[in-house]
Amino acid sequence: MRLSRRHFLGAAGAVTTLSLWPGLSALAADGDTRLLVVLLRGGVDGLHVLPPRGDADYARLRGALAPRDALALNADFALHPALPFAHGLYARGQLLPVVAIAPPYRQRSHFEAQDCLENGTASASGASTGWLNRCVAALHGGQALSVSAVMPLIMRGPGAATTWSPPLPEDVNPILLQRLQSLYAADPRLSDAFARALDSQGVGMDAARARGGRLPQAMTAAARFMAAADGPRLGFVEDSGWDTHSNQAAVLARKLGELDAGLRAFHDGAPAVWDRTAIAVVSEFGRTAAVNGTAGTDHGTGGLALLAGGAVKGGRIAGDWPGLAPSALNEGRDLRATSDLRGLFKGLLSAHLRIGDSALETQVFPDSRAAPAMRGLVA
Amino acid sequence: MTTRESVSAVNRFGLGAAPGQLARIGDPRAWLHAQLRGDGAQARFAGLPASLDYVRREADYYRERQAARRQGESAKDVANFGQRFREDQLHEFGRRYQVAVASDQGFVERLVRFWSNHFAISIDKRAAALYAAPMEREAIRPHVLSNYADLLLAVETHPGMLRYLDNVRSVGNDSPLAQRARRRRARADGDAPKREPGLNENLAREILELHTLGVDGGYAQADVTELARAITGWGVPTTRELAAGRASSAFVFRAAAHEGGTRQVVGRRYAEGGLEQGRAILADLAAHPSTARHLSYKLARHFVGDTPPPALVARLTAAWQRSNGDLPTVYAALIDAPEAWGEGARKFKTPDEFVVSALRASGATPGDKPRALIALLARMGQPPFTPRSPAGYADEAAEWSGPDGLWKRVQAAQSLSESAPAARVDALATARELFADALDADTAGALRRAESPRDGLALLFASPAFQWRC
Repeated sequence: MRLSRRHFLGAAGAVTTLSLWPGLSALAADGDTRLLVVLLRGGVDGLHVLPPRGDADYARLRGALAPRDALALNADFALHPALPFAHGLYARGQLLPVVAIAPPYRQRSHFEAQDCLENGTASASGASTGWLNRCVAALHGGQALSVSAVMPLIMRGPGAATTWSPPLPEDVNPILLQRLQSLYAADPRLSDAFARALDSQGVGMDAARARGGRLPQAMTAAARFMAAADGPRLGFVEDSGWDTHSNQAAVLARKLGELDAGLRAFHDGAPAVWDRTAIAVVSEFGRTAAVNGTAGTDHGTGGLALLAGGAVKGGRIAGDWPGLAPSALNEGRDLRATSDLRGLFKGLLSAHLRIGDSALETQVFPDSRAAPAMRGLVA
Repeated sequence: MTTRESVSAVNRFGLGAAPGQLARIGDPRAWLHAQLRGDGAQARFAGLPASLDYVRREADYYRERQAARRQGESAKDVANFGQRFREDQLHEFGRRYQVAVASDQGFVERLVRFWSNHFAISIDKRAAALYAAPMEREAIRPHVLSNYADLLLAVETHPGMLRYLDNVRSVGNDSPLAQRARRRRARADGDAPKREPGLNENLAREILELHTLGVDGGYAQADVTELARAITGWGVPTTRELAAGRASSAFVFRAAAHEGGTRQVVGRRYAEGGLEQGRAILADLAAHPSTARHLSYKLARHFVGDTPPPALVARLTAAWQRSNGDLPTVYAALIDAPEAWGEGARKFKTPDEFVVSALRASGATPGDKPRALIALLARMGQPPFTPRSPAGYADEAAEWSGPDGLWKRVQAAQSLSESAPAARVDALATARELFADALDADTAGALRRAESPRDGLALLFASPAFQWRC
């Protein structure tokens, strides 16, 4: 695989004129940490991933749907048995589940909830750029990579972000590229994206051959890029297939197996930066507390976030557990959300990426004082 | 005479110019209006199996597999689902792309694909896999030029949608079926169902959020639940019903699973009426002002620009409400709206539109089983009928114009130029067929200097000018 400084320094665009090694100088000051956001689209059932075995109402609500042979974490919570690697991370203090968390959006549309999570505001239409992209701008010389064929909202904006996914096998005729270069330079809407495309051409063919589902493949690729000495400090990976309206036990056993394989793939693929890495696995909302009529669950509110990585202060459960008693449920049907996802992200950006408070409050998460940064997420 | 508006009519309203088309169409508005009197080219799909055939063959397959297992044959001896049905799927896709590439009714073809993406279902879900292409030709094509209420009802009663959004499994909590199951479980009958059947609100939610009113259209959780109850029993024939010879259609209304009683949805009460109750609700939703606004916005965005002019959306909404959801009236309002022909009107092609327009321009014909074409679309991020959610594929440039997407277009342009028939390999002539004299001088100059005719064609397809529907 060809992976060189050129590929990502180029993505930082005009910054290169200010310093010969803009990436390195910024990194030296900031501690060279890495943040990977993994968005599980569809609304993950946190109550199935992290069964609250200490909650007396859980068995009543979930009955036979409660996973058997869950892996104990503490007296109150266990982890789904398809997550043995994550369980091992917990034992090493490198996994931190955060319970009852959600973006500030309170309706039940996937698409609006995802837009809200990605644009980093209090509503689906609150911004047309993504908070990860705004974060790149605040990093001064940092770069961001989305492992996806299309640019997701969370990465859209003027900051230096690029997309990558396994390329088509054909080699591209360099002359064709030369001629296209001047044509695209004249199209203001496409010139920037085309310049970045040229810069990362052909990278990562072997990552495309990795096996075991889309999420492990994407996390293998993310590890390759982010483990490089001057690799992107911000990464984004997405997966779908988590909207489990029916037969969710079987679906989640498979999908959680993929998530576990993905965490392992990143860990094994990026040993050089693992100790400086935080991975945030999030979803747009949780699901109904009770089982529906088809052995699944419907759209709910309070969800689950998992932080993983060598930099994470794990081995414990974070967040406030509101309980599953009938009176504690949101609208009598969902786990109440007691934490705002923006607070989690702000906590990571502040302590892990060392983004200053003013940039955090005005630029990355404007108007988010209602969601103060969570403290103590990273060591 | 070929005008800028002719270029827009074939490239932005249609699926892209085919050889000779620009010169033939005459008055562009009249050409578009004339297409509204067609039938959705249903005859081009003659000879393909009906959904009921697929339902039967799928039931046969699962029966054979069970029998084989009972006889102790290992899984290897029985073809898996993909092996059994892959050829059928390829045939369906082959016909779909052949029609798209050959059609001279590009506006109607684009409308079919627009509604197909609006009512997105994914073949990633095994239960729906065989019905996505059939839903487009059985439910959408016949109603693409009808009233929206007819289109909506045809889709919501098609096995593809009923299975994709789980309605086939939804059972009213007080339905005869659920009551019987409760009684049998209570007396620990050995054959009692292992779990109690119940309601699934997935389809009802997406009908309100995506198919009709829109997420801000003025409905609440209670409306979702009520609509879900009203459409309990809307399903697909079971193996047992097929074996008993009781199935004459791929849609069945199963009264035993239906939740009786009056329902209240979006402020209106609906008397108990079995199947008719759900149909009445859908008819009202189709004509609701929020639906008119939501879908007028989507149409305007699809045909004119990512941020469509509010005046255009208002015109289409008014036409929708005036005609009670008569789609040809709405399309006619789009054709006649000045905003639809403005200088700024343009759309970035999705990967599917990019590939189809390149095939049309190069005069290529997709094969009967277009494996390479499907693989190409998959690598570009838009395999047919495989959106990652029921919201369908995005209809905005920001989603498709990232670095990775552009890079893959360059690679795809090379492949497509290599598959063009020898007689068509003249990039400058092809560009003239697409843009008349509206092609910019830089692109024309680059095409003139191309190293070889095929390189010229690759350059044309990869050029920024070709990425836009102008």
